[in-house]
Amino acid sequence: MPVMLPTVLRNLLDGPATRLYPIQVREPFQNARGHIVFNDDKCTLCSVCALRCPAEAISIDKESRTLSFHPARCIVCEVCVLGCPSDAITLIYKWRTPFSRKPVEVHEARGKKPRTPM
Amino acid sequence: MATRTVVPFGPQHPVLPEPIQLRLTYEDEKVVEVTPVIGYGHRGIEKACELNEYAKNIYLCERVCGICSYQHSATVVEAMERLWPLELTPRINYLRTIWSEMARTHSHLLWLGLLADAFGFESMFMQFWRIREKVLDLLEQTTGHRVIQSVNIVGGLRRDIDEQQKRMIVGVLAQVRKESQSLIKALIHDYTVKKRTVGVGIITKEQAVSLGCVGPTLRASGISEDVRLTKYHAYGELNFEPIVESAGDCYARAAVRARELIQAIDLQLEALSKLPEGEIAVKVKGNPPANEAVMRTEAPRGELFYYAKGNGTRKLERMKIRTPTYANLPAVLVLLPGCQLADVPVNVLSIDPCISCTER
Amino acid sequence: MENLIKIDKSAIVTEGKKLLDAGGKFVTAVCNDLDAEMEVTYFFSSNRGTEMQGLRCTVAKDEEVPSLTGETLAAVLIENELQELFGLKVKGIAIDYGGNMLLAHDSPTTPMLKEKKAEPKGVEN
Repeated sequence: MPVMLPTVLRNLLDGPATRLYPIQVREPFQNARGHIVFNDDKCTLCSVCALRCPAEAISIDKESRTLSFHPARCIVCEVCVLGCPSDAITLIYKWRTPFSRKPVEVHEARGKKPRTPM
Repeated sequence: MATRTVVPFGPQHPVLPEPIQLRLTYEDEKVVEVTPVIGYGHRGIEKACELNEYAKNIYLCERVCGICSYQHSATVVEAMERLWPLELTPRINYLRTIWSEMARTHSHLLWLGLLADAFGFESMFMQFWRIREKVLDLLEQTTGHRVIQSVNIVGGLRRDIDEQQKRMIVGVLAQVRKESQSLIKALIHDYTVKKRTVGVGIITKEQAVSLGCVGPTLRASGISEDVRLTKYHAYGELNFEPIVESAGDCYARAAVRARELIQAIDLQLEALSKLPEGEIAVKVKGNPPANEAVMRTEAPRGELFYYAKGNGTRKLERMKIRTPTYANLPAVLVLLPGCQLADVPVNVLSIDPCISCTER
Repeated sequence: MENLIKIDKSAIVTEGKKLLDAGGKFVTAVCNDLDAEMEVTYFFSSNRGTEMQGLRCTVAKDEEVPSLTGETLAAVLIENELQELFGLKVKGIAIDYGGNMLLAHDSPTTPMLKEKKAEPKGVEN
């Protein structure tokens, strides 16, 4: 019994050890892998990201010059970010917010705004 | 006249982390026969490894198990690196050792919490997992993810530890060590815990070798055997000796894991103080040659064995995985007959079952 | 790979028993599908787990291989798996699941053979 006494007193006096999520949100660490974002202005449709993705989350359509990305399949392994020769993919440290239906992002390479059907 | 009943233990049971069914035949509260039924988690990972290019296999094999994920990643990468064979720098070996021991720390804290939960000691379970949160935060700050770290590539690593992170890790580890010591003292010297684990589920020395047990299950029966003695990664330069107990019962297995937890923290602190300078990745030329290679490491549950065979193309010919719980499962067939009904959860949990590793 | 000896299938039990009696431990068995025949390699460890020894034998696809479970119960799960996933005939396993250990009733049979192609299924969203 005396062994656990410091722990018991600390638990009694310190307050709850859990956070009141979603009112209190922990700020993610700067090094964490959150989600990836595509930049249409720089993408040249070289397909290196689609060939290297282990989860097959990126697919390229050369005729219509579009890139489709499925965020629900992405495992955030960062292989596409490190492999892109034109620096068109960035890794953001915050996680995505939850979604109720799995979205598909369609990006048009070279300069147009992305259309995201929700 | 004794009555015989057959009771299915599992596949859903509060004490099991993963699904396995044990068909137990009772004769008035004493277990007489046991038949394990597995196959609830078979995903065909060995066949899927032949579909992918060799570099994508890392992301597939990491996900064989969630708790010992780092050791799977380090072993598959090293088995593929031995096909060429590639020459690694000392810094790569030291960093892999540090992350391996960090994974062992969080796995043993998880198991100690589950052991307390198996007796109904729920508040101790929560105290251990509160300490474990600090280790998971360390993993997130250094590698990017909490559970599946994805930091190994063929030829080295993708992330580095700089001076500021090193000081932070040393500070957090010292705190984790102090808090774990006080909780372990409360658990191991408790009268109720001793009453339920001492003398329960004894595996003798000869039985342990002939059943092929590995890891803490083997070392608790008096045999000093550990794969880290082959001096892979940086273990040859660290001060390491296997921890052995001689009783062979559930209490000895718990004591081995508790002492290994403290030893893992000490090994990390020693490796951080001796970390050499150098590159974190070497260049890889060409496809995996037509060769075979074997790599074994010490996962938190025992010896992990990977066999890789290349054939000169970008896809591997064969990948074979033998996980530690696969080797410890026949020991359950010997442990359970003869024990009481209430001892079954404690016995099954004491070998640290990771069924998703067993079935891949 | 060092320490690999080629043996005939009739010598599996005797050579294995020699290694086990010398203080070794059974690790695992690996099966390779070389189109016309099957190659089975048994691995044993010794000397506090630091040394490995391999025994390799080649059999035709319908030949029977003797079981090691008479010497060590550690081989029971791997021999059931070889029987189920590769179709290798193993005689005399101590606890024989008869092909129901890992696969379900409606799964494809012997999926690890090369002729059974591993097609990626195509992921739904």
